[in-house]
Amino acid sequence: MDKKRVSFLSIFVFLAINVISLSKVIEGFYGKEYGHVYSFMIVALISTGLATIAFFTWRKQEYKS
Amino acid sequence: MTEDRKKNNQSANDQDMMKLVDNLNRKEDVNLNRRAFLKASFGTTVALGLATTPFGVISAVRSEKEDSNQVEIASVDELAIGEAKNFNYPTEDEPAVLVRTPDDRYVAYNNKCTHLQCPVFYEKKDNVLLCPCHKGYFDVNNGHPVAGPPQRELPKILLEVKDGKVLAVGREYRHG
Repeated sequence: MDKKRVSFLSIFVFLAINVISLSKVIEGFYGKEYGHVYSFMIVALISTGLATIAFFTWRKQEYKS
Repeated sequence: MTEDRKKNNQSANDQDMMKLVDNLNRKEDVNLNRRAFLKASFGTTVALGLATTPFGVISAVRSEKEDSNQVEIASVDELAIGEAKNFNYPTEDEPAVLVRTPDDRYVAYNNKCTHLQCPVFYEKKDNVLLCPCHKGYFDVNNGHPVAGPPQRELPKILLEVKDGKVLAVGREYRHG
């Protein structure tokens, strides 16, 4: 698979990761399990960072021609 | 005859094409495409990711407050074996019960039943914590429900025995 397709598809993977992480963070927050809140928050932020990289990679390829 | 038919067909086709053109909404066609879909998905990803941070910050502030909360509950010789004492921890609005178990250990739990928030009492005879509202029973050794409607364990108060005093030093909501 080329770079553009990988970036395109990975954004949806990161979207799914963030949906799950946010639900776990909320669950941990109301269950007062702060350890869970921190871990899933870090996962969500890393996933957001990677999604940003993937998006700009895709954009560069998409608008190249 | 066939010429007329051809002409009729042609005009019908033209009519159909015109209908198709009328059905096109140029603005939607421009806005709802693959690129726009990906951009919207990326925006959602970022929004969901960033939405986790306020929960993290509030959790950090709250856990800091709870960590620093150390309260003296009783002196070591205040309770005989099999006796219990009510107190409030970590705030005045959160009642709790301290029990000196038959095997001479101190355990403490927030004593709001995890079913419908009724107060939970220590039953010396059966060595259990009992919620009389709906007959919910909790194991005194770990605070887990053993019978009745409650499904979750009682929040556990962490204790320390220091200089002849029993101190509450923290709280765990989910515990073994």
